[in-house]
Amino acid sequence: MGRAIVITSGKGGVGKTTTTANLGTALAQLGHSVVLIDADIGLRNLDVVMGLENRIVYHVVDAIQGKCTVQKALIKDRRLDNLWLLPASQTDDKDAVTPEDMRSLVFELKTTYDFVLIDCPAGIEQGFKNAIAGADEAVVVATPEVSSIRDADRVVGLLAAADVPARLVVNRISAHLVKRGDMLSQADVIEILALEMLGAIPLDDEVIATTNKGVPAVLEGKSLAAKEFIRIAKALAGHEVEDKAPVGFFTRIGRALGLSATPA
Amino acid sequence: MWLKNIFGTRPSSEVAKGRLHLVLAHDRTGLDGGRLQEMRNEIAAVIARYVPIDASAVEIQIETRNRATQLTVTSAVQPRNA
Repeated sequence: MGRAIVITSGKGGVGKTTTTANLGTALAQLGHSVVLIDADIGLRNLDVVMGLENRIVYHVVDAIQGKCTVQKALIKDRRLDNLWLLPASQTDDKDAVTPEDMRSLVFELKTTYDFVLIDCPAGIEQGFKNAIAGADEAVVVATPEVSSIRDADRVVGLLAAADVPARLVVNRISAHLVKRGDMLSQADVIEILALEMLGAIPLDDEVIATTNKGVPAVLEGKSLAAKEFIRIAKALAGHEVEDKAPVGFFTRIGRALGLSATPA
Repeated sequence: MWLKNIFGTRPSSEVAKGRLHLVLAHDRTGLDGGRLQEMRNEIAAVIARYVPIDASAVEIQIETRNRATQLTVTSAVQPRNA
């Protein structure tokens, strides 16, 4: 049985869709079978971020209403063997789907695929409730800004009430702004939200450029953001993750002398 | 950053952090400003039934750390023969 992970944030425009596309693609690159569901009914976007917009025939509402089988609505990504997209409908509205519909759809997909990633719409209304209904766990995306963190906190509360465990991805961190004292650091965000952190994606021009082309940044692989997405995907899947911060010389000596609590 | 510190300007990230702690404390309790004042007045009235206080000087504060939210009511008690 696979795992269903909802990518959510409360606030719009913080990088949910980009995160879904990149984590899903990275998980597929690691050899897992992955389905991405665009749960933003009426405002679909995951298809263009993935570069699959020209191949849509059926969508999630068709599959739920039985106009086609779920398998038929899936678009296979030709760049990878084990990656599929279930696009949103652009013409229906959010009430076309109920949480119960989503739960059974996600459950059906979990029987076949290792990971089902659900790209949640912004907001905390019906679309949000639908998107989290079938999820086993959540990735909350927040940028280091007051408005984004406030909304993320609200979403964390709602996820806790729905018994969906959540972990945090901080998006668009700029090291030099943090250093200058003009941006909250990832440590600040963790402290404020009191959530376990999966990773922090650096603000990276490359993500904008690859998104223009409809290519998830991890497929080009070289950028800092791509490397961090890959690291997070490994952590999500329980692969061995290399320590992000290289262990310093003095720490090593300390450990060798038994001065540190952390085992060497 | 040290230059700003010398001239006494708080880094904007510190300002953001302070604002967030306050906003989240209120968001998490679900109390808006009006309800909070109403509660403050009621608590002040209850305290005043037992000890002499200046009801207008009762302060109410909501703070949050590690997802735990704490409500603090502060009131100065006036001496008995004042």
